[in-house]
Amino acid sequence: MPITIVRSTGPADDRALRGMFAARKQVFVDLLRWDLPVLDDAYEIDQFDDGHAIYLMVTDRGGQHLGSARLLPTSRPYLLHALFPMLCEGELPTADDCWEITRFCLDRGLRADERLGIRNALIHALAVHALEAGIRTYVGVAELAWLQQILAFGWRCRPLGFPQPVGGRTLGALEIDIDQETLELLAANGIGDAQPLAAAA
Amino acid sequence: MPNGSQTRSRPAVCGITWGRLGFRDLDSAPTSSRDVCAVASFDLVQQFVRDVGRIETEHELTQSLDEMSLSLGFAYFALTHHVDLRHAPQPAIRLATYPTEWIDYFDSERLGPLDPVHRASHLTSVGFAWSKVPSMINLTRRDHEILDRAAGAGIGEGFTIPAHVPGESLGSCSFATRRGEPIPEDALPSVQLVGLFAFEAARRMSRMRSFETDLPALTDRQRDCLVWAARGKSDWEISRILGISHDTVVQHVKQARERYGVGKRTLLAIHALFDGTISFLDVMRR
Repeated sequence: MPITIVRSTGPADDRALRGMFAARKQVFVDLLRWDLPVLDDAYEIDQFDDGHAIYLMVTDRGGQHLGSARLLPTSRPYLLHALFPMLCEGELPTADDCWEITRFCLDRGLRADERLGIRNALIHALAVHALEAGIRTYVGVAELAWLQQILAFGWRCRPLGFPQPVGGRTLGALEIDIDQETLELLAANGIGDAQPLAAAA
Repeated sequence: MPNGSQTRSRPAVCGITWGRLGFRDLDSAPTSSRDVCAVASFDLVQQFVRDVGRIETEHELTQSLDEMSLSLGFAYFALTHHVDLRHAPQPAIRLATYPTEWIDYFDSERLGPLDPVHRASHLTSVGFAWSKVPSMINLTRRDHEILDRAAGAGIGEGFTIPAHVPGESLGSCSFATRRGEPIPEDALPSVQLVGLFAFEAARRMSRMRSFETDLPALTDRQRDCLVWAARGKSDWEISRILGISHDTVVQHVKQARERYGVGKRTLLAIHALFDGTISFLDVMRR
């Protein structure tokens, strides 16, 4: 499937962004039953979608959402910091070159083989974006099953603390190093793509 | 059932080393794990994660994991894919320090996919104590025999961290005490992390997958037919559902079977589920 990678910081009326907020509602609220605010019964938007977030989106050629992730700067309040500080044993990361990955979302309509392709394209885009933007570390909170997949992408990860049960799920926090080796490590696990990043209009 | 000696004579599965490399006889084991602090701090876990990130051989990983399990308060560990190692569909990993008697029995009885602890681990992604297994799956008489046999070989209480990477064999990393020794409850959060990162290190070493080249690629239409076939539809029914001719469906399913090198449509569906070409959701969706 031909895809486009879109990098966006808004505005909120952007078509790709709207598709993303709708997909987030379908995945995180309808499917995963996370307790999140929903706007107009259609869009999952929370206090971190505040103009400081950066979004990476995979769309088809028509601009239709296929997958997305939200990046939050750790120099401001972020998810791990605000909601899950207990998952972090040491001090919470706070640095200009450290960003948090949240709301990693794959469209519900994707088939199994497409999901894998879109997931890989998004992971690759995250690494490319970090290298271009001078990000050296990603942090993130994940449920254990997803956390294991994140490790299996092959990039270098470290735990930030012990996984713990939170609201019926077991969550853990991770730190991911991004450097010149990252793309090679990902490629060794089948995650590679020459998709150039395009800024949203 | 083949006996244990056949197991020993086979040195490698699909080019990946296994077996004796990772095993240590009880005789050569340190005499006690009790003299080491049973509770590992997070620092210790971090050090382990750093170490295994640099390690390049399965032998080093086995040593590192052995030391770690001892400091966490366990006598044994086993990091493994849940397959019959001699007939695994993909390169398989196993590193273990269980007593030789148990490993021989395990292999000769082909317990990889049958072991009740392994089966229980397929139901969760969170580590669990073996004492919880009866509440997770229904234990058969054979399961009780297996558990008794493990106890007879000197294996006590255990804790297992499931390892599920989509498209790859299910696996786990287990830690066990010597028979009669209690499970070190305080160490379990560390065990969860150690298991996760150890499995990933082993996976990296074994270079599990040769990407793209070995996955049989189906066309979209073959795949559509396969999803319906997996739902139990006949070729004729599939032709009605997809609005194509009966002969075309027969051809699609036949070609898909050929690409996977399997003769039966049931096996075709299982292989395609296994490698992620179709998902359980595709098949179970209303």
